Amino acid sequence: MARARLKVIASVALLAMTLPLVAACGGAGPTPTPEKVIVKETVPVKETVVVQITPTPGPKRGGTLVVGLMSPVLSLDPADYRDRQTETVIRNMFDGLVTRTKDNQVVLEMAKSATLIDPKTWEFKLKEGMTFHNGDPVTAEDVKFTFDRIITEKAIEYPEPHTAARKGLIAPLESVEVVDPLTVRFHLKAPWPVFMQMLCHQQIIPKKYFESVGGTKGFIEKPVGAGPFKFVEGKLDDQIVLERYENYYGGADDLPPVGPAFADRVIFKIIPERSSRVAALQAGEVNIIQGVPSYVVPQLLSDPRLQVKTCAGTRPHFMEVNVKQKPFDDVRVRQALNYGINVDLILAKILSGYGVRLPGILSPFNNFADPNLKPYPFDVEKAKALLKEAGYEKGFSFVIDVSADAKELAEAIAGELRTNLGLDVSVRVWDWAVLRPKLLAGERQATVSSWGDSAFDPVGYLEAKVHTYVEGSTYGRGNYSQYSNPRVDELIKAGEIETDVAKRHEIYNEIQRIVWEEAPMVFLFVPQEIEAAAANVQNWGPSPDGRINLHDVWLSQ
Amino acid sequence: MRGIKILERLLYTIPIMFGVAILVFLFMRMTPGDPVDIMMGEAGSIAPGEMEQLRKEFHLDQPLHVQLYLFLSDALHGNLGYSYAYKKPVADLIMEQLPATIELALGALLFGLIIAVPIGIWSAVKQYSIVDRVSMAGAFLGVSMPAFWLGILLILIFSVRLRWLPVTGRIDYNAGLQVVTGFYVLDSILTRNTVALVSSLKHLILPSVALGAGTAAMVARVLRSSMIEALRQDYVTLARAKGVRETWVVLKHALRNALIPTVTVVGIQVGVLLGGNMIVEQVFSWPGLGRLAVRAIFSRDFPLVQGVVMVYALTFVLANLVVDILYTYINPKITL
Repeated sequence: MARARLKVIASVALLAMTLPLVAACGGAGPTPTPEKVIVKETVPVKETVVVQITPTPGPKRGGTLVVGLMSPVLSLDPADYRDRQTETVIRNMFDGLVTRTKDNQVVLEMAKSATLIDPKTWEFKLKEGMTFHNGDPVTAEDVKFTFDRIITEKAIEYPEPHTAARKGLIAPLESVEVVDPLTVRFHLKAPWPVFMQMLCHQQIIPKKYFESVGGTKGFIEKPVGAGPFKFVEGKLDDQIVLERYENYYGGADDLPPVGPAFADRVIFKIIPERSSRVAALQAGEVNIIQGVPSYVVPQLLSDPRLQVKTCAGTRPHFMEVNVKQKPFDDVRVRQALNYGINVDLILAKILSGYGVRLPGILSPFNNFADPNLKPYPFDVEKAKALLKEAGYEKGFSFVIDVSADAKELAEAIAGELRTNLGLDVSVRVWDWAVLRPKLLAGERQATVSSWGDSAFDPVGYLEAKVHTYVEGSTYGRGNYSQYSNPRVDELIKAGEIETDVAKRHEIYNEIQRIVWEEAPMVFLFVPQEIEAAAANVQNWGPSPDGRINLHDVWLSQ
Repeated sequence: MRGIKILERLLYTIPIMFGVAILVFLFMRMTPGDPVDIMMGEAGSIAPGEMEQLRKEFHLDQPLHVQLYLFLSDALHGNLGYSYAYKKPVADLIMEQLPATIELALGALLFGLIIAVPIGIWSAVKQYSIVDRVSMAGAFLGVSMPAFWLGILLILIFSVRLRWLPVTGRIDYNAGLQVVTGFYVLDSILTRNTVALVSSLKHLILPSVALGAGTAAMVARVLRSSMIEALRQDYVTLARAKGVRETWVVLKHALRNALIPTVTVVGIQVGVLLGGNMIVEQVFSWPGLGRLAVRAIFSRDFPLVQGVVMVYALTFVLANLVVDILYTYINPKITL
């Protein structure tokens, strides 16, 4: 199988892995105060490098891992949810045919091999001897059943017949065919370059068990999967308790250690308030927390009982300006904004440096990011010259409309523009659900927001951000700048069906250059994902898609 | 006679609930924001046509009056619809979270009354004394302190620093509680599980204090002023002139008469404690109705918001009814 080749931020991986290691292993001598982790460049790294620096005092079985999650788990049905938290819990109970490594490579999980037979057909062979938590063997029938339930209209019968929420993530899948008990074929409607990446988000359920408990209602009350942990009990808005599945087949061969999980028990606690989440970790009530605000990191790092890890994030942040309105209809004004804001300073002040500059429309971690594209340099003189050229040497005033969570960032930007370019900029805060339709209708001047790029592929991202807005479609669904360029639209459509990687690079490089030049937005940064844990949590680390894989984690004391 | 009156009052709740249902329905739909759009989030990976299909599934493509008709006819049959986000019947979700909210409200009320009643009486009797001034200053602080801030403060002191009490949740998993009613303290007693009883009480303390502080302050102030009022009445002077012991004068003659305004305030507070606990539930990760409501509102989960608001409305109506019934016991001159 063609392994998806992905770039990884070496410095982050190395630094993030070593910092807590020192803290954890350092019995003698003071713990060095770690510097801020700031990633400057991206370098491809091999998995083995990561393995070498993984602490190896020998994995230890036993103990209970308690994880503090940011938001409620919405469902225990692998076919019927659409959010990350739910996926985190589900993927500790259920496995899929393929999965991702922490550095975003797609690797085989339940599948032994994956072959692209023709551009529209993938064949998977399953590993032998895998069982679900109730002891039933995993067969090709289960795989077919799982995907039929997802792609068939109105296949989910509870509480009222509806279509699986995860169908949209694998829409080009037409049918699944059982070849023999351990072989399945996936037939696609059209060639789909991101199939393997997207397949990571689909987990297998047992057909026989599902039918024996009378369908969805029975299944979500007592879900059974083939993952490292089995369901014990849980309430979606409170906590979910799992226990180790002793007969686990081991998981992905490329994600050592392979075998049953180390922890006896795993508890996912829902702690939506971030100060409470941090307090729960400090009080020793939970072992791992996600969504750590960057400003508490120094405080956490100063506590020897705790460790903090970061990894590349998946949410590029921008300030989009309405290119249909004056003065932003002039490309020189938009470029001036890019030159006139000291993004590095904002990054240091607001995120305490836990983020990476955005060179252009694509995150530097995206597989198709153009490495030759560099962020706009901070150059006030050039910005002023551009404004003068455009006839705005006396400046102008505008309002940035944002949701509450982007307020601080928007105010920092407004401050920069006021001081550096003498512009009169103010910030207004809205409920996002109210603001979004107004932005799409072109009724606002500017906004600061972010857009998810968790597939690390331009498909699903570029069409939302820079394709012309087409109401009711996925095109321009996040285009708050009203940007519209026929050439870009054409290239986006071409990229969706192109399977040749080199040609896709060409297409996406051109888009990135055009958008960089026309600057419908100020390119800001991608914040890192920050997670924290007790010092005795071993072999743990955040992953860019926010998933917490507890199979490999153990407690040293 | 009283029984018939109560029944009559209960029947009044039906049109009230009907009105509430229509209002919530309309307000939710007047609020800008599209539930399907919010559900799909700010991320890629959505298929063409997916959003239309969801709108159709949720009947959001129908005209408003058709949606209202569907909602009301289902509600009359006891079906509040299913949550867009959780894909579960709204009634199930509410029943799952409601015991936690009631338990917390009772805890807070208990805390509030334990603090407020002695303070209210004491400061009235010793008006303008040090005790009075200190407790009224405390009450002022209690009324004005945001529950959010108080909650975080309590966590930092009692959980992070002293490690006496837990930060989150309702009970330790290790306590091995057999859930019977959903009220964990009650369940621990019913199943004679001492470990669970201790654990659930420990979890209940901080949120109850954070939520009940405002109630304590409010009730203490009201009780104090009505006590002062009552202590000035002629019947109190008469009682003292008769040579009744001072304790008896205060507790029997004055307090009983001071209770009418106090019970009114407590009644309102019960509604507030049940319906205004979103912030405390958020801070202490208390899996109750308030948290569910907030999430539902932000994600425009219409059926869930409708269901939760109807529960809140019902709570207020019933709390008022109970207060009115209590009046008749405290002062037999009052009838329903």
